[in-house]
Amino acid sequence: MKWRISMIVLAVLCLNSLLSCSRLDNRTQTQGNAGGEEITVLSPKGQPPPIQLKPMAPRLDTLDGKTVYLVNDGYLGTDILLGEMQAWFKANVPELTTVYKRKGGGGFTAEDPELWAEIKEKADAVVMGMGH
Amino acid sequence: MAAVVGHCVNIESELGVPTVPLITSEFYEQVKTHHTVQKGMPGLRVTYLIPPVWGKTAEQIREDIVGNSPPTGKMVMREIVENLTKPLTAEEKKTGTIEQSSGPASFTDTPDNLQQMFMEDRMTDYMPIILPTEEKVAEMLKGTSHDPDEVVGRMAAHTAMPGDNNVEVFEHWSYTVKTVAINAVMAGARPEYLPVILAVASTGKEAISVSDNSFTEGLIINGPIRDEIGLNYGIGALGPFSQANSTIGRAWNLLSINAGNCGRIGTTYMGVIGNPMNWNNVIMAENEESSPWKPFHVRKGFNPNDSVVTLCEGWGILSAKNSRYSVWAREMDFSGTLKKIVADQDMLFGAMAVLSPPVANYIKEEGFDTVEELVQFLSPPVEGQGNAPQAKMPFRRRPQINIVVTGGANNNYWSYGGMAVRQSVLIDDWR
Repeated sequence: MKWRISMIVLAVLCLNSLLSCSRLDNRTQTQGNAGGEEITVLSPKGQPPPIQLKPMAPRLDTLDGKTVYLVNDGYLGTDILLGEMQAWFKANVPELTTVYKRKGGGGFTAEDPELWAEIKEKADAVVMGMGH
Repeated sequence: MAAVVGHCVNIESELGVPTVPLITSEFYEQVKTHHTVQKGMPGLRVTYLIPPVWGKTAEQIREDIVGNSPPTGKMVMREIVENLTKPLTAEEKKTGTIEQSSGPASFTDTPDNLQQMFMEDRMTDYMPIILPTEEKVAEMLKGTSHDPDEVVGRMAAHTAMPGDNNVEVFEHWSYTVKTVAINAVMAGARPEYLPVILAVASTGKEAISVSDNSFTEGLIINGPIRDEIGLNYGIGALGPFSQANSTIGRAWNLLSINAGNCGRIGTTYMGVIGNPMNWNNVIMAENEESSPWKPFHVRKGFNPNDSVVTLCEGWGILSAKNSRYSVWAREMDFSGTLKKIVADQDMLFGAMAVLSPPVANYIKEEGFDTVEELVQFLSPPVEGQGNAPQAKMPFRRRPQINIVVTGGANNNYWSYGGMAVRQSVLIDDWR
């Protein structure tokens, strides 16, 4: 009896192994085909523009006696942020003048030519926030 | 954050004034590897803040600015001082031109491997595509008389409203008629849809906005082209129930990903929640024949026989049954309900009502002979006097109210949302 049960178990194991090998072969075959013959397809990409490196402005030798514009681009909370920075500068860099400005133009990306002209004329540096 | 980078680069390079842009540290990689490089100033001295800033008290912010900036470990205020005063390095003084490439013009492999490669290289929307062989693209190009090498437009991950005077914040990639055709093939479009897709492409408007708001885009299509290409404007008009409705929006998406470099999480896509309408955009062919009013494009100044596509953008569209003002009643007050819904919603993108023909006809019978009369009735009072609290955002524009009629006649349903119309384009120019 024990012998017969062992033979049956062995037969089931062998059959299972054969089926597993067969399944593995099929999988290997599918991956080996990988979709059939090679073909050529076209790139769907557009053309990125060349990047023109722009010169950075020279830095200041000191902040003493200088004027820094703190420019709020309009994002929520920036008024509080720049207000706190203004207070820190007053306490820690007393010889620096800070000017708080709210950028106009109607949006984060909008230009504000009047403010840019004022900065060119009166500002030694700009701190602008806030990218969120 | 791209706007702050753009302004500061211009102030440095054009005004000669040193700057320090302030950006929350979540955007460090995006700004460092993308925005500053694209704007031509990879050395721009950004100071990164402890996020978030919005919502914090003055006391919390006071602590944060004397705390350490996450990427550098330096005290925020000391770093600002250093960024303004430390002399420029040789690297920061570099000028010249960097050429960019988007890779090879073609790829050769087995179809399965190409499908996998297109997906892994983010040239798809993660769904299978029709592989764009030269033959399939040539067939697609029969849908237009335009030269395959003609440049159709330029696209970036964020575009301003037409007429706005804005700093350019993302680089614009250019693309030809052939590029558009390749993406149309991939989307499963037919050659006769190509003029619609080209008309949309000619605007340069991206289908996948970078905004953390998770915007969606929409198309309103009018004129004879609707029937010529089999757009569905009956039952299920806004759903996936025709090849044209299902593939035109997808082609716009794929074009945006591949030819506009849009939709890359961390650099050109930052939608916090994302938007399921981004899969295909909101495609609306108007049911002109069943509408009691002039078609949308005629109200925009086009002729009835013109084929026109109108682009819109906003939060999306959903059933009016979502609103607490929409009720089932024996006697429906459609215009009154619509007015309440419009008054209750944020008008950043205005209001768009998508009415089924029966609802539109009921509203006409209520006494609104034209859409203009209806819009006048629906228009909210001047800002500050409306019912709904309006967010104090800097880019509020004059609110738009747009009415589109589409869908079946089998019941009195309608939808609404905040979708602002941007521009209308003549499809016939791209045949």
